[in-house]
Amino acid sequence: MKRRAAIALVLLALAAPAVRAQERHGRPWQELTPEEQWRAWENYQRYQQLPEQRQKNLERRYQQFRDMPPQERQRLRQNYDTYRGLPPRQRQEFIDKYHRWKGRK
Amino acid sequence: MRCQRARKWMTAAVDGELSPRRRRALDGHLAACAACRRELAVTERMLTALEGLPMEAAVSARLEQATLRRVRLAAADEAERAPASRWTRWLPLPAFALATAAVLVLAIGIVRRTGQVPGAPAVRPAPKLDARGVAQAPPSLLRPPRRFAEAPPAEPPAKLAEAPDLFVDMSIIRNLDKLTHFEAIQTTTLDDEPATPDGLEPPSNG
Repeated sequence: MKRRAAIALVLLALAAPAVRAQERHGRPWQELTPEEQWRAWENYQRYQQLPEQRQKNLERRYQQFRDMPPQERQRLRQNYDTYRGLPPRQRQEFIDKYHRWKGRK
Repeated sequence: MRCQRARKWMTAAVDGELSPRRRRALDGHLAACAACRRELAVTERMLTALEGLPMEAAVSARLEQATLRRVRLAAADEAERAPASRWTRWLPLPAFALATAAVLVLAIGIVRRTGQVPGAPAVRPAPKLDARGVAQAPPSLLRPPRRFAEAPPAEPPAKLAEAPDLFVDMSIIRNLDKLTHFEAIQTTTLDDEPATPDGLEPPSNG
């Protein structure tokens, strides 16, 4: 019994870094769908062209996003879908509202 | 503030990344500098156009049907012409596969190169007029061509392999602030203060 518990503890200790890494960085590349791999690859190439400061900002925001509870992340995804679905005029209006809202904060 | 610094801060301002103090300084500069106002308007339009880029190319039902019809015709043609010898009995199958692959590659190539689905009507939006009545460049001119057409590598670079979701969700991450406060932003009113001609906010010096 003790031996089993010890083995379980060792396995847990071995698995913990991988779990932590997944929590921090998300899914591994192999788990992405082909469409997601395309999107990630294209965005990666755009990312490489950004100045270093912008890259760091993105990484910081990504960590904020990863640290959010799953429901909150889901809410943001839904908001993004809504935003993408807006006609160009309404989207521009939203951006104008965002600047106005940001200025009032 | 000099124009060089103002331009350095512009993308951060568009993304809502600028601190309120810097934002005020930038607004102060923009109020006095028409060239930087124009630059900011272009930056905003570019970033909006970038966000509007499709994640994937749509293929119309018409193109799909036409492709399938051509493949069927090619296969039937091959079957009719197939000689009776033993090894050539297998010819229709690779011919069918080749024809399918060729038509698909052609279709994807057309869509990716032109951004236009063959057979779909080309819609050209009327040029937008800004507050001064000057025609702005149509979105098609602002939208940069899709430069990254090559397939992702089997072995991704270290950065991409380390955090692929960063790049999958980059559009969300870029707009994190907007999306987090989406509802509050939507209920914000625009009509209490008039915007400046460039669509910029008036400088807030308070």
